[in-house]
Amino acid sequence: MKKPTRTTRATAPRNTGKIHPVVIFPFSPPDDYSNLQELFGLVKRLNADRSRYARPLTVIDGKTHRAQSGNARYARFREDTVAVHSEIIDAWGVDTCQMWYTGLGQAWERGQPGDVYWLIPGDFNYGSPSGLEVLSRLHDLPEIIQELNQDVCIGEIVTDHCNSKQLIDTYGTFALLYNWFPTEAQEIREYTERPRSEFFAVRHEFLGDLLGRRWFAYEQTVVLLLQAIFSHKRISRFRVGEITDLLDGRESLASAVQQVERTERVLKTVWRELHQREPGWIEEYHALETRSEQIRRTAITILERLLS
Amino acid sequence: MTPLKTLRAVNFICQAPHAQSVSLVGDFNAWNPTAHPMKQGPDKAWTIAVELKHGHHRYAFLVDGALTLDPRAQGVTRNDKNERVCLIPVS
Repeated sequence: MKKPTRTTRATAPRNTGKIHPVVIFPFSPPDDYSNLQELFGLVKRLNADRSRYARPLTVIDGKTHRAQSGNARYARFREDTVAVHSEIIDAWGVDTCQMWYTGLGQAWERGQPGDVYWLIPGDFNYGSPSGLEVLSRLHDLPEIIQELNQDVCIGEIVTDHCNSKQLIDTYGTFALLYNWFPTEAQEIREYTERPRSEFFAVRHEFLGDLLGRRWFAYEQTVVLLLQAIFSHKRISRFRVGEITDLLDGRESLASAVQQVERTERVLKTVWRELHQREPGWIEEYHALETRSEQIRRTAITILERLLS
Repeated sequence: MTPLKTLRAVNFICQAPHAQSVSLVGDFNAWNPTAHPMKQGPDKAWTIAVELKHGHHRYAFLVDGALTLDPRAQGVTRNDKNERVCLIPVS
């Protein structure tokens, strides 16, 4: 597929539709439910404002539900809080982004042109003072799309330079992006330093386009941003504040290596799909692949020094 | 979270110690370079207070005629001319 030439941004209709919150329940619910209680405090408020918001959807992975069987605390929270303030979608997903696909897909089926879909990841420390501040800002993401006529708004969390997410993006994600998609990488960096953010909102029309394309089990935000740039969508970035993942081993070197490797895998696939009909694509692919391997090895070496 | 139609004073600060002129441009003044000229203080920072409606606004500084981003902006987007500009929420 030939890339469209870069011209002015596609003009989307000004939006006054409904906002569809899609909550991704933590894969490994913590022992302490204070973070989830704060998050579902927000979900309760959204559910109460039905003139503005569609009924929130909460996606719970089948493995999570199965692992929690016999856990009275989980069962009570699910029935008394999650099910009351949102509609639960039980899904079996190979990774987090498949849960996004399920939730956003079902929300999109219920929506209409002009609506906005708002992804809210559940596995963050919303109960902390900074987390509460983030919770109070997340609503800006869909509102920016509505008020400023945007197609996608990426929420950027603030971290220090030594945070593993930041290091992975600096040495892994962007280095690989600059190899496979140099022009687009530059444009993405003009918006955000966190191209794998789990916080975003997207307009109905653009989400419909994305749902019709290949959806990856991981690193889907990078693909979303690439598609937005390929199709000249209107992109915004909004800083939502300081917040961290709930502890589930994401800080480990093994996890960082996995994240770099799968980003490379996704970028290679997207590149092939974009260029495989062009004559001589395989030679260019091999050249990029050789360089990509060097970048990946270097990134992993650096992360090994910094994270181990 | 329903936007109110009230106004709130917002302070803008631009660090451009050697600039001859700085103004604030945005959706709220139709990107008019003369609508909101900023004043330089003793510390060389350029400042202005503007009353803005609740909601999200696009803006930038015009430093000696050049569109300049606010490094402390909470967000980034593009204006209707496809130029990179800043985002500010007012609530």
